[in-house]
Amino acid sequence: MNSAQPATRPAQSNVMAVSPSPASPPVPAFEASKVCVWYGTKQALFEIDLTVRKREITAIIGPSGCGKSTFLRCLNRMHELVPSARMEGKITLFGEDLYGATVDPAIVRRRVGMVFQKSNPFPTMSIGENVIAGLRLNGIRDRAFLNEQMERSLRLAALWDEVKNELHRPGVSLSGGQQQRLCIARAVAMEPEVLLMDEPCSALDPMATAKIEELMQELKKNFTIVIVTHNMQQATRCSDQTAFFYMGKLIEMDSTAKIFSNPGQKQTEDYITGRFG
Amino acid sequence: MPATHILHNFDNALEQLRNTALMMASLTERSLDNAMAGLFDRNSDRCNVAIADDEEIDILEKTVDKEGYEILIRFQPVASDFRHVIAAMKLSNNLERIGDAAVSIARRVKKLNAHPVLPEVKLLEPMYSETIAMLKDALRAFTDSDVELAMAIKPRDREVDAMNRRLANAFTDEMPKNPEQLRGYLNLIFIARSLERVGDHATNIAEDAIFAKSAQDIRHTHPAVPAKP
Repeated sequence: MNSAQPATRPAQSNVMAVSPSPASPPVPAFEASKVCVWYGTKQALFEIDLTVRKREITAIIGPSGCGKSTFLRCLNRMHELVPSARMEGKITLFGEDLYGATVDPAIVRRRVGMVFQKSNPFPTMSIGENVIAGLRLNGIRDRAFLNEQMERSLRLAALWDEVKNELHRPGVSLSGGQQQRLCIARAVAMEPEVLLMDEPCSALDPMATAKIEELMQELKKNFTIVIVTHNMQQATRCSDQTAFFYMGKLIEMDSTAKIFSNPGQKQTEDYITGRFG
Repeated sequence: MPATHILHNFDNALEQLRNTALMMASLTERSLDNAMAGLFDRNSDRCNVAIADDEEIDILEKTVDKEGYEILIRFQPVASDFRHVIAAMKLSNNLERIGDAAVSIARRVKKLNAHPVLPEVKLLEPMYSETIAMLKDALRAFTDSDVELAMAIKPRDREVDAMNRRLANAFTDEMPKNPEQLRGYLNLIFIARSLERVGDHATNIAEDAIFAKSAQDIRHTHPAVPAKP
């Protein structure tokens, strides 16, 4: 049944359709300001200013060596594991400075989980043990709680139905796509606020890739996701916002629909249309 | 000129699509010209050429679509590449309709040519001049990605619409004075209407040219008519 029609119709945009505006203004999760990174004397990132919105999927695209993975690692301080790496600038997560003097990097990495290009389940652990490994490392021993988190995480990773009767089997016995979802389950078991994904589907077949992409849409109801991908169709399908990096600089960031239909910068256009490598 | 793609096959496919669409545009323009020359020169042979050419125009429409689909499937274009493929496919659809209008005109002209000349035929000349100029400009805007030229087409269509209304009134007024030529005046009314449709399709082509170049969708908007000097 039709409700009363509005007195006036909303003005239509003349620009090619972009994502519908959310009902409420987007909440920033990460806010990066003038982020620069060096490996030794080589500068990898140049004054990156970028905002990642809460419970959206932000894709970072760009050619190899453009700094996208470096930037991703800055978001949970993983670049600090490289001895020669040095960062300047500021990154906040929900307003808190991730690089504050009193901030423990381990806590940052708990809040900001990571899924890597190659699935990396712990080879000596079963499927179930893999999921709760992080919780155990953090000293949690309550078996009921651990079991609850195991099931919840596997369900969140859309893997529960496939493995619920074989939780004792080695994690590495799963298929590549299942192993990657196991790693996602392991990451979400820590109840992070953000999931970083570095080329999570590059080693997967199209079916396994589709499952991960579908899973991402479910996960974004609870998590903010940042994905680095070389697969531009994947960025188009999955993400809400897309950032294009080139030679260590953020060239452009906008809604994914805008970036892939009518980017503002020629370098972006040239990259996404395959005009340079 | 934009840089070439890393995939040369992609460039080749886009170039092939563009060439097919431009060949279709050239043939369609010629077909309309043949039909109207058949009217003004009382030359039914040119009408027959226009009618015969329609088959090739129809084939080219399907060729453009096939080439466009293949690019979408094989190369999954984005941004300006995507817009150009879509615009080429829409162009071919509009050209096919213009080809149909040319056939419709040619058939009516053949009927008119079988009877004594109607002096009012000359009244169609200004309308045809404006319509073919619109079509040429729309196609040039499309070929050259000239947004400014394309933007100027839409207001001109309103003038063609007004010409159509004036001609329909003029021909209707002649009917009671010259009742034995009733069919002839009806044919002139339908020819004017076909030209008016050609103007509409030229406008569509101009709108698609703007979309292809700038991603702006100006369909169903009403830009102000520029003031006459």
